[in-house]
Amino acid sequence: MQLYAPTSTTATKKRTRAPKLAKLDGARIGILENGKLNAEEMLNEVAQLFVQRHGCTIVKLASKKNASAPAPANTLTQVAPEVDFLITGLGD
Amino acid sequence: MPAAAARIHEVPDDLLAAIDYCYDQGWTDGLPVVPPQVDRVHAMLAADDRPAETVIAKHPATGLELSLHAAAVNAVMAGCLPAYFPVLVAAFEAMDREPFNFHGSTASTGGSAPLVLVSGPIADEIGMNAGVNLFGPGNRPNATIGRATRLILRNVFQMLPGISDKSTQGNPGKYSLCIAERTRGNPWPPLCQEQGYAAGVSSVTVYAAGGFCNVENHGGNTPEQVLGSVADAMANYGCITLGQSVVILAPEHLQIVAGAGWTRRQAQEFLFTHAKRSVEGMKDVGKFRDREYDAQHGEGAHALAEQGFLHRGLNPDDILITLGGGDAGGHSCFLPSWSRGRGSIMQHAAIRQKK
Repeated sequence: MQLYAPTSTTATKKRTRAPKLAKLDGARIGILENGKLNAEEMLNEVAQLFVQRHGCTIVKLASKKNASAPAPANTLTQVAPEVDFLITGLGD
Repeated sequence: MPAAAARIHEVPDDLLAAIDYCYDQGWTDGLPVVPPQVDRVHAMLAADDRPAETVIAKHPATGLELSLHAAAVNAVMAGCLPAYFPVLVAAFEAMDREPFNFHGSTASTGGSAPLVLVSGPIADEIGMNAGVNLFGPGNRPNATIGRATRLILRNVFQMLPGISDKSTQGNPGKYSLCIAERTRGNPWPPLCQEQGYAAGVSSVTVYAAGGFCNVENHGGNTPEQVLGSVADAMANYGCITLGQSVVILAPEHLQIVAGAGWTRRQAQEFLFTHAKRSVEGMKDVGKFRDREYDAQHGEGAHALAEQGFLHRGLNPDDILITLGGGDAGGHSCFLPSWSRGRGSIMQHAAIRQKK
């Protein structure tokens, strides 16, 4: 008996992770808040820990209006050149 | 990048072993599936005149695509007959529209299930149930079209419980949630007509349903009494949000409402006006949010939105009402929607039937 697989036949794209940061000291932080009620406050608290412990600088706060949709590509491309790492997460 | 060919699995010619094989592959919703044998899939595909590789939906985050072929495989597994396939295809064409946000509504802790609501002549042509035990088991197209919808979300889009489907509790509609609009004894125009489709064209409406609330009222005999109990269900503290609503009125209830001369529009306006909670009450239960209140009472607010109250939805158009269920019983229902804040808006599409 021959069965078809019920999965998508979309060709899978190769995705790679960004290289690990060599050091955190003095790094530039971006924050991507997702529009949830407490997201900005929570993410700022997390970022402040990096500021205090590693002398990081918060350089960019980006927002996406819909927590359940991917961040718009132009948001990511605008933020990426200006920061060394980005903090994001839920904020219910 | 071109799509890969659909993979074929060779299994022994033993039906029970093939069912077990499907379990082993992780292809099921927990219930046994019909093994998607090649010939059955081809017969399903013959119900649509487009090429099998035609893409009808795409996952916004992962890029995974749903082709007619993959839809047909899952339709076979769910137990659909080829005559049902156009409904399933139209449902995903509607769900693929950005405002439906099928990724978010499936992934969220909210646990919604896509309600597939069929309106028009195809419902009778393929033998759908619009009457007694509407949301219950026993009717093949209702059960299997709804089930195929879930299997596609699972198998094609990889919305896997616990991994990419993080529903806190889920809801029973996540196995299957497909109904037909009742036309017999329905004094109001069918939804497909109100949606602007040509005569004879059926439609499917999709809606991210966050559950099911029975509205029992055997004593009310005026539109205000019947719809007042519906509005109260819509405004219960657990459900009230800015989200949309689906209300399926039982024949006994709609006879009272329409029998008094009320149009669908009047019923929508009554429900919007009465499905509300005071700001103080919302604060008491910790659910008041300034920005939601502002969305409802700010510039462009609907005239029926009363100051000091949070209504369900933004305006009467947010409430879909139609007829469904058996002749006997004062049991209607309200289905709350998944999050409006995250852009969940019901969508509809024409059902393309091969000539």
